[in-house]
Amino acid sequence: MTTMLLRLSRDDRPILIAALFILVILVAGTAYTVAHFGSAPLLSPTYLLQQLQIGAFLGIVAAGMMIVILIAQIDLSVPWTLAAAAMMATSIGGPLAIPTGLGIGLLVGLVNGIGVAYLRVPSMIFTLGVNAVMRGLMVAHTGGYAPQTAATELMKTLAAERTLGIPNALFVWAAVSVVVAIILQRTPLGRYIYAIGNKEAAAYLAGVDTRRVTVICFALCGVAAALAGVLLAGYSTKAYQGMGDAYLLPSIAAVVIGGTNILGGRGRYLGTLIGVVLIVLLNSVLSIMDMPEAGRQVIYGLVIILMLLVYGRGERVTS
Amino acid sequence: MADTILAPQAFLTLSGISKRYAGVRALEGVDFACDHSRIHAVLGENGAGKSTLIKIISGVVRPDSGSMRLAGSDVRFATPSAANAAGVVCIFQELSLMPDLTVADNISIASPPRRFGLIDARAQRRRAERLLAEIGCEDVNPLLRVRDLPLSRRQMVEIAKALGQRPKLLILDEATSALTAADVEKVYAMLARLKSEGTAILYISHRMHEVEALADRASVFRNGRHIETFDKGARSTADIVQLMIGRDIATQYPPKPARQPAKPVLALENLSWEKHLDRISLTVGAGEIVGLGGLDGQGQKSLLLALFGVLRGVTGRVTVGGREVRPGSPAAAKSASIALVPEDRKTEGLMLPMSIADNLAIASLAALSAGPFVDRAKERAAIERAVTRLQIKIGKADDAVSTLSGGNQQKVVLAKWLMTEPRIILLNDPTRGIDVGTKQELYRLMRELADQGAAILFYSTDYDELIGCCDRVAIMYDGRIVRELQGDELTETNIIASALNIDAAAGNVHAQ
Repeated sequence: MTTMLLRLSRDDRPILIAALFILVILVAGTAYTVAHFGSAPLLSPTYLLQQLQIGAFLGIVAAGMMIVILIAQIDLSVPWTLAAAAMMATSIGGPLAIPTGLGIGLLVGLVNGIGVAYLRVPSMIFTLGVNAVMRGLMVAHTGGYAPQTAATELMKTLAAERTLGIPNALFVWAAVSVVVAIILQRTPLGRYIYAIGNKEAAAYLAGVDTRRVTVICFALCGVAAALAGVLLAGYSTKAYQGMGDAYLLPSIAAVVIGGTNILGGRGRYLGTLIGVVLIVLLNSVLSIMDMPEAGRQVIYGLVIILMLLVYGRGERVTS
Repeated sequence: MADTILAPQAFLTLSGISKRYAGVRALEGVDFACDHSRIHAVLGENGAGKSTLIKIISGVVRPDSGSMRLAGSDVRFATPSAANAAGVVCIFQELSLMPDLTVADNISIASPPRRFGLIDARAQRRRAERLLAEIGCEDVNPLLRVRDLPLSRRQMVEIAKALGQRPKLLILDEATSALTAADVEKVYAMLARLKSEGTAILYISHRMHEVEALADRASVFRNGRHIETFDKGARSTADIVQLMIGRDIATQYPPKPARQPAKPVLALENLSWEKHLDRISLTVGAGEIVGLGGLDGQGQKSLLLALFGVLRGVTGRVTVGGREVRPGSPAAAKSASIALVPEDRKTEGLMLPMSIADNLAIASLAALSAGPFVDRAKERAAIERAVTRLQIKIGKADDAVSTLSGGNQQKVVLAKWLMTEPRIILLNDPTRGIDVGTKQELYRLMRELADQGAAILFYSTDYDELIGCCDRVAIMYDGRIVRELQGDELTETNIIASALNIDAAAGNVHAQ
């Protein structure tokens, strides 16, 4: 098997390893449930679709995060971009709810992009600051209490209902995925993104407008986070404080587990999809096993480290 | 003279020292010696091996073969600090000071005076004051941050720092290039004192009058070899220049077409940038290859970067085909039909891990797109054409560009730009580290492009190349164009003389 892995291109190897690990999770989880309850709920389509529906929110955030990581930046403002979009969408309400939410994401993304590309502040610091600012603004807006406003019907439909038995949120995630995959593979923008992540100086000297591309990447990430926020508000019928906090680290983890280089320039969108599925399934299997929260966190963290060690080793073997 | 009473054995002896960088020869079988109580100048063109020589002596790089003896015993320095411990101290061109520490901190950085294990700030300050006084720089406050000092003062601090290590062998690599005339005098006085105290001094400078004023002995290097060592006065300036040029195996250059007055495509008027470019005026015509010559670091690279929109705060006028342009970024320069092959192909020219195809297409994706999408068929065809035209030797276009040889990598950089069909091509030392065969292909290609109407501005550190390729060569010195050479004037003697900013006519008189 090792030789087979080595023969794959270095972008494909992590994807395959992650996919294999998903199988391991499913098999181990099923073995556990069969032994303890005598059933295999993990393999039922209903259960899997439900997990994917939950995964859709993370998947949409991760799609945006991947774009920013590919240009060797990071967006730490995702939690409160997501929450702010959800809160503003519910408080505006009506047909303008979703455009308002997405507009908030676009705005935050543009601010991030301009801060990083034009003001030359390291993205780790700038987006962290923006996250705090957004949080402050939202506390001021809601007075610190849970917002009383509710999600619109359209938001609920998109996030919680099903069409032909398939959750609508999955369709949204699929649409986002198609758009991101096409951007990355088929457009000049996608090429510029990879070029900047590999060697920004070389891309700049090749006449690529690196600052504009950077702004666009952050804008896309902001819109993706906002879309996830709008859907999440629809799913839980309202927005709430801290609703985005659970999405920052898992989205970064999903991108990296999917084989995208955290230093930028390398990675395929398929990998991010698989990374999201892996994280969602891992979480759910650990909760089925009745693992206490503390143990879940430890295992979750160890898995991420382990996966990256495996990728790193493969790299050294080939080079 | 005093040296007759010294031991006959030289203080530092190098025998058979060779060093290669990635297959390129930097030094080959060098034998070299220098004595106590002497100032020994090391001369040579760019790339002659001077820098490698001092890096080996001071422990920065290790030689591939050969041995080194210092004060009668074999040494092999693993690190610069090992060399320092043996009394070898080097003042490098690039300043080695830490800008956010004080002058006193910097001077004692390697081994600060201590009290109870902690740095004794007062003793450190007194030490700095004493050392600065030794080189006549009492006016420098040791408690200032180095960042706040002007460049010439920083250089003096650097010298004080070196003195503090009590060198037995002091190496100065262009150490006076940033100094004011008054400071240069102080440095001369200091060197004379050190010499009288028995220190061996290696002095690297491109300023011939300095060498004449200071050196007791000089060694000329060329192409990684030690050519000759002679005492002061044994050779005239013209002789020395001749030694530096030497005679190399002739390279084939494509014939130059008979020159007709070319229509200027690129015209610069009074282009200035900070201290590095000083009122540059130059024209490059369609079909013309204009060289930029001179010593390293006289503003040639800044000029190319200024034209390509990389530098901020450039003043003056640039016209392309008669229309004024203000390239504010490489993207803008590209739309003004300017292309640049940058200095370092590995970090500036290529995205090494990406495929050959991606690297080739990156500058012309806009033209290869239909609507918002890259037209893959068109892209593939364009890449194929470029590969064929430049005869780039590749396996698959999808292989990483890092798998190619240096010469083929450089062809990829050039091909990338040719795909944008530029009218003006700026080349920053494109043949550095490239094998002879590929070099000749590049020369041919340059001439071909010029014949098709491109205007080429070509910076090279290799004088031979400038003479062989260029219709005209502008020699730069200290940010200015000091001379334009063309036709019969285009000789190595003239180029070197102008590059050193000495009177070429006088040099010629001596030579005859």
